[in-house]
Amino acid sequence: MRPKQGFSMEQKKARWGWIFVTPALILFSIFSFYPMLNAFYESFHNKNLLSLRPPRYVGWANYTYLFQSKDFLNSVKNTAIFTLGTFIPLLVVSLILAAFIMSIKKFQRFFQMAFYAPAVLSSVVAALIWLLIFDPRGIANQGLNTLFGTSGVNYNWLSKPGMLRLSTIIVYFWKYVGYFTIVFVSGIGSIPHNLHEAALIDGANRWQDFWYITFPLLKPTTLLVSIMAMIQCLKTFSTQYLFITAGAPTRPINVITLNIYYTAIKDHRIGRASAMSILLFLVMFFFTYLQLKVSKTEEVTYM
Amino acid sequence: MSAVRPKSWYLEKLAQVFIWFFLIAVCILVLIPLLFMFTASTMPAIDILKLPYPWFSDHFHWQNFWNGLRGPEGDFIFVRNTLNSLIVAVSVSFFTVILSSITGYGLAKFKFKGRNLVFMLIMATMMIPFEAIMIPLYMVVTDMGLQDTYVGLIIPFVANAFGIFLMRQFFIPFPDEVLDAARIDGASEPRIFWNVVLPNAGPAIATLAIIAFRAQWDNLLWPLLIVQSDEMKTIPLYITKYMAETHSDEGIMMAVAVMASLPMFILFFTLSKYFVSTEGLHSSTKG
Amino acid sequence: MKKFSVLTVLVLLMSLIAGTAAAQVIELTYWTHTDDNRTMIENRYIEEFEKMYPNVKIKRVVNEASKMGDLVLTAFSAQNAPDIFNLPIEQEFGYMKHYRVAPVNYEAAGYKGAEDLISKYQAGTFDSVMMDGEIYGLPLELTNWAIYINKRVFWDAGLDPETDFPKTWEEMADIADKLTLRDGEIITRRGFDFRYPYYLVSVLPMVEQLGGKLISDDGKTAIVNEEAWIQVLEFMRDWGPNGRNLGSPTYAAARKIFNKDNNDMGMCLSGFYQQGRIKVDNPEFYESGDWMVVPFPVFENAVNDVAASYYGHYLMVNAQTTPEKQEWAWRFIAYMLDHPMEYLLTVNIIQPRNDLLEDENFMNLPYMDVFMGDMERAHVVFMHENGYQFERFITEAVEDVMLSDVPVEEALESLRERIQEVLDDEY
Repeated sequence: MRPKQGFSMEQKKARWGWIFVTPALILFSIFSFYPMLNAFYESFHNKNLLSLRPPRYVGWANYTYLFQSKDFLNSVKNTAIFTLGTFIPLLVVSLILAAFIMSIKKFQRFFQMAFYAPAVLSSVVAALIWLLIFDPRGIANQGLNTLFGTSGVNYNWLSKPGMLRLSTIIVYFWKYVGYFTIVFVSGIGSIPHNLHEAALIDGANRWQDFWYITFPLLKPTTLLVSIMAMIQCLKTFSTQYLFITAGAPTRPINVITLNIYYTAIKDHRIGRASAMSILLFLVMFFFTYLQLKVSKTEEVTYM
Repeated sequence: MSAVRPKSWYLEKLAQVFIWFFLIAVCILVLIPLLFMFTASTMPAIDILKLPYPWFSDHFHWQNFWNGLRGPEGDFIFVRNTLNSLIVAVSVSFFTVILSSITGYGLAKFKFKGRNLVFMLIMATMMIPFEAIMIPLYMVVTDMGLQDTYVGLIIPFVANAFGIFLMRQFFIPFPDEVLDAARIDGASEPRIFWNVVLPNAGPAIATLAIIAFRAQWDNLLWPLLIVQSDEMKTIPLYITKYMAETHSDEGIMMAVAVMASLPMFILFFTLSKYFVSTEGLHSSTKG
Repeated sequence: MKKFSVLTVLVLLMSLIAGTAAAQVIELTYWTHTDDNRTMIENRYIEEFEKMYPNVKIKRVVNEASKMGDLVLTAFSAQNAPDIFNLPIEQEFGYMKHYRVAPVNYEAAGYKGAEDLISKYQAGTFDSVMMDGEIYGLPLELTNWAIYINKRVFWDAGLDPETDFPKTWEEMADIADKLTLRDGEIITRRGFDFRYPYYLVSVLPMVEQLGGKLISDDGKTAIVNEEAWIQVLEFMRDWGPNGRNLGSPTYAAARKIFNKDNNDMGMCLSGFYQQGRIKVDNPEFYESGDWMVVPFPVFENAVNDVAASYYGHYLMVNAQTTPEKQEWAWRFIAYMLDHPMEYLLTVNIIQPRNDLLEDENFMNLPYMDVFMGDMERAHVVFMHENGYQFERFITEAVEDVMLSDVPVEEALESLRERIQEVLDDEY
């Protein structure tokens, strides 16, 4: 091989690689990395947002405080309940819906669009609609009363702690079930037809086909979707925020992001709020690490 | 022809009936809140929380739409705010697509030292809760003098980790031979990207554009901080403002909700083939 | 000699800079909350002021009242704050404490000094904005709440509003019960309901009627007089869906549906300004006179006669802007506030300036006597740097007993612990 002048092909490519990623890196540095580092720095300091005094270094004090704070542990509990309560049903139902849609011959597109339709609304609009539905005089109470043949029972959708948590889960579930159904549909659609045909020729029924062919091949999609959904659930904010603004009790749905917002913006304790953010970040980082590992080992990546 | 059918035939039919029943039932449950929004928007407020809810009222209370359009101050600021939302969402999705494609391509097709670190750093930005970086971000943007401007609303969201991830995944399987052939033909790297790579990225771009558009259409917290004048407000701000007004009226609120959702519904129905099909999304994200 | 010349040059330079600065246009930003009528008159004041002083430009920015706190705070923490702003006084307290706002420039505002300013306003007006002998804000509005009654709902329930209106909280619960209509457990008409998130203004005074306090006078101990707190929490529990089912925070806000007169709200708690809103929302109801206002009730076993706290919005000036801007800011604020009668008649807000209160038309306004009477029985809203946090804790305690079946003693103990922790915290 004849040595090239100046840069080799590899070096040239490496240089172009950097050129392609630099604009994004510059924007990220200004609008993401710097604010993130700032939060990390603040988490080791005590600073009142209104005070003109410089931040005071306190070491791990903000973190140790959080681990024995009832309020923060309550938020951890609420976030965990919301995340588990939302993403498991989301996963199971959207998988079932996708499998059902793929098993019918007509209206495949109609059902996908119908299930996806709520995702089109913005969170503010979704909260507006559901607040009216969950009003004591709203159609949620009317519907259950009709269903159970009772009259005038108030299910306290927005006031009893358990019901309130369920209500936030319902809103979230409603908004995202269509999205994940579509992801699963495309996952199922990508499984080569000849695999199904082979199974059917071998005498498998449709259930066996799903259980032994479709489901195992969907595993990477399923794992990926579950972790994506988990991150989304861990970051939930607007539904809870809008419900509380409308008069729902705070404590049962005071999730971590909401606690961060209250601690920083209402109580002015930016150090403590930053420490919460860093902890939440670490949890999410763990799950994303998991996600990347999964997608690498399985060699199949759907969204 | 024998009238006796095998047992599995009946089971199959039964399963079929169950599947249809289940799909239709879920479909109805999912669509009820939307139906509620549309019907409530045509009723005077007093009917909406009546027991029982009158699903279909006999006359169309068009005043809801007129009042929602007129706004609490009667200055039709809703129109301007819708325009703002469109400008911001379209710009963000346009620039996101460009930047994510460039970066995703760079990460997928070029080997360079530190590539994995760059990728991990970018992915890490997905995990920081917005509430945590809100204040430093606000400081950065106001120091640049961008409060109350379109640029200030747009620029923090142009670099989008998810978009880069999506495009990277899409570009990884792109055949290297095609790129090398173009290089041998003497095409420059930007030209290869623009003429060879990008035209093949249609479905991924459409998916990303829709996701970015939707996220901005939905954005509440950032515009809330950065927007000062009524003229620069976006739709979610208009809605929260209307909710906060003492004159808030459920009928008008639902009418505003309908009007605010219309652009998204139109976009959704016209572009649905890109994300509601058995192929579109899959082919765009296959890695 | 050399030193002297350097000094002269410096002084000359300084005066030059000052001279050019004076010729420059002074731009002031003024952040305030939405109120259509106020926007109308204040835009006119701005126009007039700019005509009088062509070198001053004022940019008025409006935002929803509920978002103002977050916005102003973020702006201050980012050193990008407006020159002039107003917030509820209990929120402004922190800004004073951390010296983020400047004391009144008496001269620019047209007063001889602090005493002169105090003497022009109703006694006590400035108690909440005094620190180290300086005054930090001028009142845009002072508000207190009394009970609005829809007479038609009383008549419908066979009651006579003129004689049967509630004077005590015990009567309030009984009358509300009589006025309430239900479909099963679901309330279709409420007799009365509280203003739920605003516990410091309306619920803490109920505790104080019974001799309780949120924190001790030395500021070190949380929850004074547990019996008083228990009685109030029990009252709230009995009010809620697990008790007599008279209302709850998750129903639509009482003051919002009151105006519509849809036979779904008997009484609500609101300020003088509510009258203006009734007039706009429902002119027929306003003109009919089928509504009235009565004083804030007290418990039968009350030891103190305390009405709902009054709260206010004070106009304040950012301490980090230039002294020159501050001076112009106070001049502009004083110009706006020189129209108390117009604020009262157009916006329905009270600026307690003596010349207004002594105006013969003032007391003749509908039910002004009730509001002023209650004002005398009241004190300014509870003020503490962490007041907002305390209010959230009280909110959660009330929600616990009303909605979550938490025993009153347990909710109170948790409330005490949380407030004590904030008091002890050296953050």
